[in-house]
Amino acid sequence: MSTPAVSERHQSIPVEFADEEESIKITGFWMFLMTDMIIFASLFAVYAVYRSRTALGPTPQQLFHLGPTVLETLLLLTSSFTVGIAVWAMRHNRLRMVFGWLIATLVLGAGFVITEISDFVSYMSQGATWHVSGFLSGFYVLVGTHGAHVTFGIMWAITLLLQLRRRGLTAVTRRKLFTFSLYWHFLDIVWVFIFTFVYLSGKIA
Amino acid sequence: MSEHTSDGTELEAVEPGLEFLAPKFEVEGFPWAQVMGYVFSLLLTFAALLLVVDHAMPPILLLAVILALALGQAGLQLGVFMHLRESRGTAWQLLPLGLAFFIAFALVGTSIWIMLFKTGVS
Repeated sequence: MSTPAVSERHQSIPVEFADEEESIKITGFWMFLMTDMIIFASLFAVYAVYRSRTALGPTPQQLFHLGPTVLETLLLLTSSFTVGIAVWAMRHNRLRMVFGWLIATLVLGAGFVITEISDFVSYMSQGATWHVSGFLSGFYVLVGTHGAHVTFGIMWAITLLLQLRRRGLTAVTRRKLFTFSLYWHFLDIVWVFIFTFVYLSGKIA
Repeated sequence: MSEHTSDGTELEAVEPGLEFLAPKFEVEGFPWAQVMGYVFSLLLTFAALLLVVDHAMPPILLLAVILALALGQAGLQLGVFMHLRESRGTAWQLLPLGLAFFIAFALVGTSIWIMLFKTGVS
C-alpha cells in the first residue's frame, strides 16, 4: 500500500499522547493509581481480618441493605460509561459533547455520594457507629475512603469543566480529562470489589 | 523514528521484531466498545447480585464465583474504558500494574490465610 501513511499514523496518535510531556504525565498518573490501589488493598485486608469481629454490634448480614448499594453500583457503573464517552468525544474534538457527558458523570457521582451518605446515616441511626466493633471500624474506613475519593473526583471534574470552558481542548486539558477518566474508572473498579467483597459477601450466610 | 523508505511504503521505521514499539491507539467512529462495555458491566453486576440473592450455591463456591465476576469486571474496565494497552511505544503502565495487582492480592490473601490459623493457636 502506498499511502501518505506517516502523517496519518501521527494524526492517529491522540493529542494527549502526541505531546511528549503530557504523555509522560499519563504514565505518571498510572503510577499514582498503582499506589492508591495498594492503599485500598491494605484497607481490604483490614476489613477481611475484622469482618467477623462484631463484638456487641450487628453482623454484616443484619446490617446491610442491598437496595441502596445496588443503586450506588448502577450510578457508578453508568458514570464510568459516561466519562468513557466523554473521552471518546474529546478524541473526536467535540467540546460540547465533552461538557455534556462530563456533567452527566459529575451528577451521577454526586448521586452516588448522596446515596452512600444516607446509607451511612441510616446505619448510624441504628447505633452502628464505627467505634462499636472492629467490623464497623474496618467497614467505615474502607468504604469511607472510597467515598472520599469519589467526592474529590467530583471537585476535580468541576475544576476541569471550568478549565475546559476557558481554554478549550488543548494538549494539557485533554491530558487532564484523560487522567480524570483513569481515576474515575479506577474508583469504579474499587467499588465493584467493595460491592462484591463487603456487601454481597456479607449476605452469604 | 518515522522515516520514509524510497517508495513510501513504511508507516514508521519500526525494526523487525520491535513491532511492539509501534504506537497503539483505538479511536472509532462510534463508541461501540464503550456501549458494549457498559452492557457487560451491568450483566456481570446483576449476575453476581442474582446468585447471592438466590443463594444459588454453597457459600465458599458462591464467594469464589462472585469474586471471579468482580475480577472480570475489573478487566473490562481496564481494557475497554481505561485504554490499558494504548501507548506511544512500550506500554509502561503494564508492568507496574502487574506488580501492584500482585502486592494487592498478596496483602489481602495472606491476611485471610493468617487469620485461618487462629483456631489452632488459641
